[in-house]
Amino acid sequence: MEPTPFEWSPMHGWAIATAAMVSAGCAVVGTLLVVRRMSLLGDAISHAVLPGIAVAVLAGGRPGGPLVLLGAVAAALVTVGLTQVLRSGGGLAEDSSAGVVFTTLFAAGVVLITAAASRIDLDPSCVLYGILELVPFDTVRVAGFDLPRAFVTAALVFAAILLGCVLTWKEQLFAAFDGEAARAAGMPVTATTIGLLAATALATVASFEAVGAILVVAMLVVPAATAELLSRRLHRMMLLAVLIAVACAAIGYLAAWHWNTSAAGMIAVVLGAAYVLAAVAAPQDGLVARLAARAALGWRVTAEDCLASLWREEEAVRHGAASGGFGGWRLRQRAALARMSWAGKVLWTADGWRLTDSGRTEAETVVRSHRLWEAWLGHHVKLPLDHLHPPAEWIEHHLGADVRARIEAEVGGRDTDPHGRLIPPEQTP
Amino acid sequence: MTIPYNTLVVAAGVAAVGFAAGVVGSLGVLRKRALAGDAAAHATLAGVAAAFLVSGRRDLPVLLAGGLVSALLSLGGLVLIRRFTKTRDDAATAIVLGVSFGIGIALLSGITARGIPGGGGLEQFLLGHTAALTAADAALLAGISLAALAAVWLGLKEATLVAFDPAFAAASGWPVPLIDYCLVALVAVMVVVGLPAAGAVLVTALVVIPPVAARLWTDRVGAMLLLSGCIGLIAALAGVAASGLVPRLATGPMIVLAAAAIFLVSLLFAPRRGWLARRLGPRIPLTFE
Repeated sequence: MEPTPFEWSPMHGWAIATAAMVSAGCAVVGTLLVVRRMSLLGDAISHAVLPGIAVAVLAGGRPGGPLVLLGAVAAALVTVGLTQVLRSGGGLAEDSSAGVVFTTLFAAGVVLITAAASRIDLDPSCVLYGILELVPFDTVRVAGFDLPRAFVTAALVFAAILLGCVLTWKEQLFAAFDGEAARAAGMPVTATTIGLLAATALATVASFEAVGAILVVAMLVVPAATAELLSRRLHRMMLLAVLIAVACAAIGYLAAWHWNTSAAGMIAVVLGAAYVLAAVAAPQDGLVARLAARAALGWRVTAEDCLASLWREEEAVRHGAASGGFGGWRLRQRAALARMSWAGKVLWTADGWRLTDSGRTEAETVVRSHRLWEAWLGHHVKLPLDHLHPPAEWIEHHLGADVRARIEAEVGGRDTDPHGRLIPPEQTP
Repeated sequence: MTIPYNTLVVAAGVAAVGFAAGVVGSLGVLRKRALAGDAAAHATLAGVAAAFLVSGRRDLPVLLAGGLVSALLSLGGLVLIRRFTKTRDDAATAIVLGVSFGIGIALLSGITARGIPGGGGLEQFLLGHTAALTAADAALLAGISLAALAAVWLGLKEATLVAFDPAFAAASGWPVPLIDYCLVALVAVMVVVGLPAAGAVLVTALVVIPPVAARLWTDRVGAMLLLSGCIGLIAALAGVAASGLVPRLATGPMIVLAAAAIFLVSLLFAPRRGWLARRLGPRIPLTFE
């Protein structure tokens, strides 16, 4: 592929601005769709607005004009209404009924547009993937400036979506995270949902010229899903989604220009790359972070088990057993011990590993957790003696000081576990 | 009026595709995987375009092989997202669908913009165009469709069991995830085979609408499969005929509209479950399972 030479012109600026504006609107709506698990409805609506647009254009509306916006919203509501009717009246599963409705409406839209191709300036392939590159050449005069018509539409739609979102924020939040409770509390959940669907239709139709019907799905869902991996608060997630959408729109447009291909397609590709990046490298929910957290926990468990083993050996020696009965460290345990000797918790001597004072304190905490749990299980659950060890072996790494204090109070302050061994006292580091 | 031999062979091939898609789709719909094929369908475009770029020719078998590879890759991506991220299923499907279609569109536009010979015709995979098929292509499509039908015949018992009672199937020791993967892969194969006729955007309808319509007429799995196949066959033939009469018209939308018309008739007039029967007769419980 030969790169196109990079020559800046205001036209590219306007195309990027339009793409960014369209993406921002989609990202706001998409955030609510994603947290409400309605992504596929967004998919269905983005297909199904087509006949609405076609009919509105045939009736004399201009692409991007108010009649077309109205037609798209009507088509979206018809889609959702029909899906509901098929579900409740026809007894169909949700995805089956959505699948029937949106493919049929999209097919009808394509046929309408093909049949009326001579009378309207909509072409089936533009419907599928938009013509962002040509957007700057169709301008309207606003307050003395020549602005691209698609940009003006997208800006108005974005403003309307943002306004609606801010005004109904409380309702959206409540409906998104606990629809049943919201309904019980008297919130207008159905109206909220219809508003969201109408906003989806508006965002879709505003994006239509720029990116086409099908890639709208990517712009609705991918920024929101990416942001969801980066944040756990809804308002922050929405802000991040908008930023990601805008950045990807600009990068995607420039990449498409560089490789001389469809801008809408490249924007979707860049969005996909952003999602993969977040899925791998997000600070809390990324794959790397989760694997690292799991590995860190695994190391802590191994290290604490080693300390506890050394402590039990010391206890056995205090009770008169022969020393040095503990030689067979596994490789992983040796690595953990080496690390702990660096941290000053254990010491390598001629007789093998020995606990230092700080290591002993930590070991006593672990053993105390273990034996307290055994005492609690023996007291409350009445498990046989030989069933007490495995659960305690697991939980000893997860008990905090307050839980230990409560368990101690609950088992009546006894100082031995059910095996009759001493429970070490709480350590104050 | 005589119909050219080639047209007849193509019509027969597409009819076989419609039948097999209806049968395979029935199992998918019963297992509540109606839209599993949709992400795969949109992903096929990238594979078709990549296969064209790599091979430099527009041979249907090569293009379809590319489409199948990318369809299976997209399903693999879906599994990875489910396994390794906290993204929920609906969003995962939408992500795979949107991004893989974006890759396809970017490749396709790149090919068109460079004027690579033969690249222009690739657009027919968006909405389907049977007029460009040869008799050999149609024979290939029919052959794969028959193989898919054979696979359904072999695995019908397992698929039915998993569709109606997955918990019981798992408890009885059946490998439910494996059966599910096979089912989804079979749907992906039918989606790819349906591509030349219905196009990437609408081919999902081929595996969704006929089964849903057939379900309204019968409670027996065997009868539903057969009926769904016949509905798919009729819709495919109607689509081919309509786009043959009006050359500008893509085949995919016409197939979908024909299937939707049959669905509408079923919804109104099917015995017991249809609108009319329920207005006149006793009300029966409306469960789809």
